[in-house]
Amino acid sequence: MRKPMQTGLIVAAILAVLTITEYLFATHVEDDLVRFLGITVSALGKAVLIIYYFMHIYRLWRPQEAH
Amino acid sequence: MALATAHQEAAHAPAHNHLAINRAGLWLFFFSETILFGLLLSARFYLEGIHREELNQALGLLITVILLLSSVTAYTAETAIEHDNKKVASWYLFFTIVLGLIFAGGVAYEWSIAHFHRNEAFGSIFFTMTGIHATHVITGVFMLILVWAQALRGRYSSKNPWAVSAVVMYWHFVDVVWVFYYPALYLTK
Amino acid sequence: MYAVKSVAGAAGLGLIGFYLGLGIVAVLRWLFGYPDAWGGEINIIGGWVLGVFLWLMGIGMWGMWGREWFGLKTYQRNLPGWQRYFTFNTDHKVIGIQYLVTFMVVFFLAGALAMLMRAELAQSGNQFLSNSQYNGTMGLHGILMVAVAVAAVIGGIGNYAVPLMIGAQDMAFPRLNALTFWLVPPVAVGLLATPFLGGIEHGWTAYPPLAVFTNSSQVLFSLSIITFGLTSILGALNFIVTIIYMRAPGLTWGRLPIFVWSMFATSWIALLYTQGFAAALLLILLDRLGFSFFEASTGGDPLLYQHVFWFYSHPAVYIMVLPGFGLALEIIAHFSRKPLFAYKYAVAAFLGILGLSGVVWAHHMFTSGMPNYLHGPFLVATELISIPTGLIFLSALGTIWLGRLWLKPPMLFALAVIFNFACGGVTGIFLADVPTDIHLQDTYFVVAHFHYTIVGGEIFALFAAIYYYFPKMTGRMYSERLAKLHFWWMFIGFNATFFLMHLPGIKGMNRRIADFQSELDPINLAVSLAGFFLGASFLVFIWNMVYSWVRGPVAEANPWQVRTLEWQTTSPPPHENFPAPPVVRGGPYDYGVPGSIHATFPSAPSAGFAGAPAGGGQ
Repeated sequence: MRKPMQTGLIVAAILAVLTITEYLFATHVEDDLVRFLGITVSALGKAVLIIYYFMHIYRLWRPQEAH
Repeated sequence: MALATAHQEAAHAPAHNHLAINRAGLWLFFFSETILFGLLLSARFYLEGIHREELNQALGLLITVILLLSSVTAYTAETAIEHDNKKVASWYLFFTIVLGLIFAGGVAYEWSIAHFHRNEAFGSIFFTMTGIHATHVITGVFMLILVWAQALRGRYSSKNPWAVSAVVMYWHFVDVVWVFYYPALYLTK
Repeated sequence: MYAVKSVAGAAGLGLIGFYLGLGIVAVLRWLFGYPDAWGGEINIIGGWVLGVFLWLMGIGMWGMWGREWFGLKTYQRNLPGWQRYFTFNTDHKVIGIQYLVTFMVVFFLAGALAMLMRAELAQSGNQFLSNSQYNGTMGLHGILMVAVAVAAVIGGIGNYAVPLMIGAQDMAFPRLNALTFWLVPPVAVGLLATPFLGGIEHGWTAYPPLAVFTNSSQVLFSLSIITFGLTSILGALNFIVTIIYMRAPGLTWGRLPIFVWSMFATSWIALLYTQGFAAALLLILLDRLGFSFFEASTGGDPLLYQHVFWFYSHPAVYIMVLPGFGLALEIIAHFSRKPLFAYKYAVAAFLGILGLSGVVWAHHMFTSGMPNYLHGPFLVATELISIPTGLIFLSALGTIWLGRLWLKPPMLFALAVIFNFACGGVTGIFLADVPTDIHLQDTYFVVAHFHYTIVGGEIFALFAAIYYYFPKMTGRMYSERLAKLHFWWMFIGFNATFFLMHLPGIKGMNRRIADFQSELDPINLAVSLAGFFLGASFLVFIWNMVYSWVRGPVAEANPWQVRTLEWQTTSPPPHENFPAPPVVRGGPYDYGVPGSIHATFPSAPSAGFAGAPAGGGQ
């Protein structure tokens, strides 16, 4: 049980960092394109992390159940 | 919401397939919901471009963090069930419910202090997007409460984790939606 | 009679739920200090949600599903005979017949409305109907027929045939399947109640601003269609999972019967795009409650509705017609006694239409005032669709070529699909091209084109399927002579009606309007007479079906000598579908290929070979 818990905590930390990055891009960057890219990339990164590590999308194409 | 449990659904399929079938069904449901949320997101930019009315930034950031945190607690609960740690699972399901309720309360508070009205375009799209999302959060909380009540009685285990997994996946999905709705509503110029 | 009591009880519970919902919303509004607590449209919404929920619980979802949410033991009542059809039954064969009979009733009801419209349109001026009654009739005909086109083949034939064709015992989610059917009665009640609130004035498309300002029947319309969309989505989800996970051993993707492929493509379209209709109508409902999505003076945009709406409603025509193509190819292959020509290209065509269906919606909006630069891309994308459609025609024609055609009623209808859809496809080109579309937009040419594709392409395929599967479903045989009479009568009536309908369209006669210029009187009278002729043909069908179901001679297990799995079991099949789990050994259409076998039943008591003896006509 320890290993998946560690994964969860690491993902949580990255999510927190990305949220703050996103917020800082929105509040402190003036250039429209850079701001847009910064926010979009952060949001996409968060979505991918949740979908992969929390929702376990890879289990869809894994033939047999492990647990 | 639990799409299925073993005793009846797909009783004729090979045993190892039950979980895969249930999981595929749930994912297809998410794909379909993605289109609904995506259409509303597109409507937001179609109507208003990147224009936005003033919102309470501190509150927005706070409820975003709370919803992300609830995903972490939900993940912990699911992992605990998969390792037969029923006590931890019940507690973390409880935390998830509380965090979900705080999020819904935050949205309600945001609605009450909003200085725009539903009869203007930004108000329309803001209340609709947050409203539909909050409806999903409330639904998720209801399902979490049902699962939590069963988990307290020890009904789930590593051999029977599906109901917990399904509700937790749904919860993560609602979180992913907010990951995109938050910048679209709060962070545009 | 348990079934009667159960349906009546659930309906009563639904009604109580409806009024309870009205009341709860009223109390909430009173608590929050609104002046008009009672009588707003939001009360109807609350009533609808609670009413539908309690109806479902009452009809059997509580016992079979709801109890599980609270950790209680679930139970199911298995009733004998006809009572099965009036309970929350999870057998896909029961659900298929429930769908089919329900939507045939709706089909005839909506057909009667069409007769009423043609009676009014036989002559210029108003004879029978006032303008607003005509609008209500036209809107109800439209939306009921759209519902039939979306659900009769998928819900009826698909539910019945797909699990049998892939050798499964049932769908992947049997309870979800039953749920999708039992959501239909509230939808029917909601739509049929619209005339009592003033009638649908905006046609089946519900464009704002009219949809926002019109009478309160709009709320029932929106709620019904959102619920119907839920049915469609959940059904599609079920089909996709079933086709991916429940195939018999050996039934690889390359051996799948073509109808199953068409259902697979259709289900993806329904799963992904149906949300568009639900979202569009949700926004209409919100606008009626004081939001401002479509009110231009406060920053809204009525075109937003058309984009969201057509994002579903164009793919919807593929939801309607793809299973029709699948059935036509399936039946043509079996009744030509030849392997299906260009099987892989036909599969590619279905997947190609699935891919293209989402990028053509704005060809419905060439005259709407959307930006001009969108015209070109949508014109090209729309015409690209003719390539996969052409592949399906190639497959059908190649199969017929040098085949030994067995002109039984299903085959006649399947061949008619090919002919009718060719006409519909040719007229479609004029509507896909911007210059001609600007002239023809909103005329009877569009009406004629649409009926050629959907009635000619799908409803004919539906009748082909009914004549094909009737012996399997009921265990009895219909009168072939009456069936052939029905075919020729319907085919001639259909082509007369809708071919003639192009002509007033070219002259600019507007659709959806109760009156027209008196110069067009003769042609409209001709269309009306042809329409009545077409309508009368269904009386033959109804008589034939009802009489044969009760009194018809007992049918064999495989009256058409067909190789696919659904015919290798008794008629009607037992609850678990097959005597033993089938194992697939070869393709479904290898007629005349020496030594070919489609499937065997290894553990069956008699170990009989299927497929091999059924491959008659070598």
